[in-house]
Amino acid sequence: MTPSPPARRPDAAPRECGDASSRLAALRTRIAIHDSQTTSRKTLSFGVHAVDGGLPGGGLGLGHLHEVAPEAEGDEPAALGFALALVARRLAEVAGDALLVIARGHPMPYGHGLAGLGLDPGRLLLFEAGSDSDAYRALEEALRTGGLAAVAGLVDAGLPLTQSRRLHLARGRTDGLLLVLRPAGAESPNVAATRWRIAAGKALRDRFGCIERPCWRVRLDRCRNGRTGDWLLEWDHAAHRFGLAGALAGHPPQAGGAGSLGGRP
Amino acid sequence: MVAAGEATGLRLTAVDARARALGLRPGEPLARARARLSTPLSVHPADPEADAAALDRLCLWAKRYTPNVAAFGEAEGRDGLFLDVAGSSHLFGGEAGLMADLARRLSANGVPARMALAGTPGCAFALARHGAGGLVPAGGEAAALRDRPVLALRIEPEMAATLGRLGLRRIGELIDAPRAPLARRFGEGLIRRLDQALGHRPEPLVPLDEPAALGAVRGFLDPIGHQAIIVATVARLMETLAPRLEAAGLGARALRLTLHRVDGVIRTLALALSEPTRCPVQVGRLLDLRLDRLGSALDAGFGFETVRLDVVGTGPVAARQVDFSSRGRGASASGLADALRQRLGRGILHLAPHASHVPERAEAVEPWRVTRVALRRPERATGLPRPLVLLIRSEAAEDVLAPDGPPQRFRWRRRLHRVAHADGPERIAGEWWSGSAPTRDYYVVEDEAGRRLWIYRQAPSPAQTVAPSNTLAPLQTPPQTQAAGWFIHGMFA
Repeated sequence: MTPSPPARRPDAAPRECGDASSRLAALRTRIAIHDSQTTSRKTLSFGVHAVDGGLPGGGLGLGHLHEVAPEAEGDEPAALGFALALVARRLAEVAGDALLVIARGHPMPYGHGLAGLGLDPGRLLLFEAGSDSDAYRALEEALRTGGLAAVAGLVDAGLPLTQSRRLHLARGRTDGLLLVLRPAGAESPNVAATRWRIAAGKALRDRFGCIERPCWRVRLDRCRNGRTGDWLLEWDHAAHRFGLAGALAGHPPQAGGAGSLGGRP
Repeated sequence: MVAAGEATGLRLTAVDARARALGLRPGEPLARARARLSTPLSVHPADPEADAAALDRLCLWAKRYTPNVAAFGEAEGRDGLFLDVAGSSHLFGGEAGLMADLARRLSANGVPARMALAGTPGCAFALARHGAGGLVPAGGEAAALRDRPVLALRIEPEMAATLGRLGLRRIGELIDAPRAPLARRFGEGLIRRLDQALGHRPEPLVPLDEPAALGAVRGFLDPIGHQAIIVATVARLMETLAPRLEAAGLGARALRLTLHRVDGVIRTLALALSEPTRCPVQVGRLLDLRLDRLGSALDAGFGFETVRLDVVGTGPVAARQVDFSSRGRGASASGLADALRQRLGRGILHLAPHASHVPERAEAVEPWRVTRVALRRPERATGLPRPLVLLIRSEAAEDVLAPDGPPQRFRWRRRLHRVAHADGPERIAGEWWSGSAPTRDYYVVEDEAGRRLWIYRQAPSPAQTVAPSNTLAPLQTPPQTQAAGWFIHGMFA
């Protein structure tokens, strides 16, 4: 038994002021109380205040469905990297394994590259599904079995409403990270809590001009009970932490300045 | 001698040595044999069930020589057995030693036998039943079969008679005859049998069923057909088996479920588990998933009257302390692996590192297994970049503008990439011990949109740089690995 989703909240609400905003705040607390009874309150934070502040609970809700999509054709590796970085961040927090369900049409990740992203390939289980429906079945089964720290599905078509509802129902009481990565341009209405669009960004370079950290242009397209946004995020594979790249990338002389020379190896 | 009734009266089905000396052969009507011979005959009625049971016992006994024993099927006449002794003959002093040992033991037990050992089951059958038996050296199948009659190929007698009328009486004549007209006239069966005997086509043997370590059975007066009832019955059967497994300190690793339908059809389902278990709930759940996948293919018809659950494979179950706070590391993964295998028919995979410096050989996708010890991936000493996705086959880049060093512009997958940054080169030499592999220079390039690719330039191979007088060298090596040029090998996050 699931409650019907909360009433559609206009995104333009914060612009209103006066007693309307206070009424809205009261309404929001009531919805939050209602939501917290049925869903887990645990979240996976990004470690970036600008992103976490807009998300309900201060991070990606664990046990909720999150949708990741590339911004355009050609950004698939970036989207996969972003999703796997989230998995890596989750695995760094808790013990357990992660499952990656790969539908036909998606390439298998390369273990040495995963290690470079900070994700231990030994903790990643893979399942190759013959079709999208098989992939969703495998995801449901993984959610029912429970005990996994993260479950991510790479599907070939979009995330349809029916499948997203089935995943929503199957998640039960698990508190794993649940991601579905779909290709670009296959949009459909669904019950995912957030929708992220990822585009490749210029990598962060050290002072020798070598690539130091991957960087993605991250757009939060849709967020239930939260704020959408647009950021340039970098990924630190050693600390398993995201960071705002704009601040550093904008000022290369300061970033590689004399003050930091001594601290760097 | 033994006789069995048919539509046309009693016929001889088996004769002993004395009857054979009198000229009697299986297949002859009993009445004619009685009329032809003046000596009194001692006739016993045939008992096929007892014959089959005796053959089964013989097969089980023959497992002392090899685990892979198969009884003769319909085509062979159900009166003998195949032993696949590949890999086990050295335990008995070679193939000749094994045959001598087998013959000695059989004759000591009063079992008359004709034996042949050959590279294919078909050849061994032909020599044992239509020849002198003996040992055929590897590769000598065609020579050994050449003089045998065509009936030795395990074809129907009618087909053998037709072949005989065409003048094809020996297998050698069949080998020499053109194949296409033979296939057109006699169908695929004849060619298949010929190829199987000569070893051109594999012939898998059907081994004996694994004897069950434990089993439980339940019959129903009123046949059952509903999935939930079948699952509940199996869980109940597992409950009765669990104490016996527990007493032995074992768990079921492989289970066989046999469903006897009312009209005599038998359905068999095999359930395999990643870890030995005794839990009825788990077994029931896995069966539920399997029946979900089968759907109407199970075809319950009018229902099943007998349900039998056998434990085919067992494994030790170590008594483990159950952690109250969280479940063990392998527990959830093995449960998930079993569930996915039953529901979707595929297992879980994982990425296993391999000791190689060549990127595409440094890793393999392998089936996941329960491991108590986590394998450590060897840390690469150098922090050299590796892509998140490695293309299975590197793809050629076109229109490459690379005057010196890294490329400045290239076309890949019909998209023009202008390189904004390039790191490299990282030189990766081929494995010199496995043939002449060209050296590659890898660059990490970032185009103007920020997409990062792993591109390499393949040096011209040594085969191409040798003097042109050696014309054979380029022909021996596949051309695609020799081409010099730029190739995309992977994509970075």
